[in-house]
Amino acid sequence: MPTITYTQPNGTQQTLEVAEGTTLMRAAVSNGITGIIGECGGQAMCATCHVYVRPEYAQALPEIREDEDEMLDCAAAERTDRSRLACQIKIDAELAEIVVDIPAGQL
Amino acid sequence: MTPQAARCPFHGDPETNRADTGRDSGGQDQQAANHSRQASDYPVADWVDVAALASDPYPIYARLRAESPVAWVPQLNKFLVTNYTGCHAVEQDQEIFSAEVTGATMTRAIGARPMLRKDDPEHSADRAPMNPVLRPKSIKEVWGPVFEGNAETYLEKVAEIGPKEADLNRDYAAPLASQNLIDLLGLKDVSVEQVRRWSHDFIAGMGNVLDDPAIWERCDASTAEADRLLEELIPYYRQTPDASMVSAWANSGLPTSNVAANVKLTISGGMNEPQHMVTNMVWALSYHAEQSALVLTDPSLWAAAFDEAVRWQSPIGMYPRETTQETILEGVRIPAGAGIGVVVASANRDAAHFGDSAADFDINRPKRPHLAFGSGVHLCAGHWAAKTSIGQLAVPMAYERFPRLRVDEQRNESWDGWVFRGLTSLPVTWN
Repeated sequence: MPTITYTQPNGTQQTLEVAEGTTLMRAAVSNGITGIIGECGGQAMCATCHVYVRPEYAQALPEIREDEDEMLDCAAAERTDRSRLACQIKIDAELAEIVVDIPAGQL
Repeated sequence: MTPQAARCPFHGDPETNRADTGRDSGGQDQQAANHSRQASDYPVADWVDVAALASDPYPIYARLRAESPVAWVPQLNKFLVTNYTGCHAVEQDQEIFSAEVTGATMTRAIGARPMLRKDDPEHSADRAPMNPVLRPKSIKEVWGPVFEGNAETYLEKVAEIGPKEADLNRDYAAPLASQNLIDLLGLKDVSVEQVRRWSHDFIAGMGNVLDDPAIWERCDASTAEADRLLEELIPYYRQTPDASMVSAWANSGLPTSNVAANVKLTISGGMNEPQHMVTNMVWALSYHAEQSALVLTDPSLWAAAFDEAVRWQSPIGMYPRETTQETILEGVRIPAGAGIGVVVASANRDAAHFGDSAADFDINRPKRPHLAFGSGVHLCAGHWAAKTSIGQLAVPMAYERFPRLRVDEQRNESWDGWVFRGLTSLPVTWN
């Protein structure tokens, strides 16, 4: 099964095995991963599922659309070139494994 | 890490950023399904007094959270969910906890099922077209100046009425919420009073679980008036699109009946809650002088003051869901087809989530997610509009205009409601 590894700001890592079709946000919220709130349920309306994607996985990600881009500017933690909204990243055949870092705050 | 080029309108320079922050509105729907009561299966809170809920629900919420945060309340024909983890779990699972509730008075009231009473993907088709209108950039750049102008207009009226007579609800919060909504929707030539009447009539219809014919008559008349206006506006905006919500919906490809239902939903939910937040904030700050002093010396705290006020006295207290199958919530077995009341006003006071000071108003409390705007796919679509129009504009501007603005304790204020709760009058004075 595909895996998602979430890294907390203190370095602790949790790896989830997930079904294809889920998003990084949905998997985190359903499994109680601390630090990903996903307040708007995946509509790119809140920026509370901000993550930093490790560079080696960047290639496999979809382009940042206008709505995600706008909301990333509103994330509580600093936006970097690794910043993405976890709700906009779907796990599929192209992306069978990913490691992300969770920022220190989402609110 | 590279510095960001663009700047969020909500995290910009506090000097120039007046604007820093509604959720699909809640509704009180009738839960028509009847299931056999098997007291042994779940806690029953038959002691809940509905009249007492409307006058002050918080002591009742505290007892429910302590005794049985998921409990069958026979008077309401619903399971009330009153703790944070329970409410959050309901919000995260549309498949078990459906928004498409049986016998929805909301649907009856506005003539068709709005997005708030749909699950995905039907919900998402209705909702997606207006998200771009309501994201922070559009709210800040397009609508901020409109909201600011409207606030100035009604502050002037409050000044004319003066510190001995002014009622912040009647003279400021209510007309301002109506005008902001008229503009954001793009309703054009309708009056503040007319849209307020529509909103009240729709909400009365949504709460008309006892089928009072007089309430339905007023509601149907307002629905007909709004529909007549939309029959003109929808084709107009198809020819002449602009930045408004009706325009976005009119050009979304959705059937006219969907557009009309969601506009009427917005008229219902986009009025009382912003109105209540203006008065809630001033009331809370009036009774917390130290925090009031803090925010008046450091305007960057307005965002926290708004967020704490909406948590502490949440304008939407409860909204309905219905189980699609038997399930277990917080250890309680709930049958299929059961009505659920998601009591976010209670979840927002849950000490297990907010700590022992959960019942206190504290703008400096550690940031924790709250449920005042809901969470999940029905998260209030207007939450950025509310944070801006009220938290960054309407309330700060009122304090700038009226030195030492405060509740006038010489006159009586009044609170009402629990499904929707707020101040029905708030006499204020100033120096």
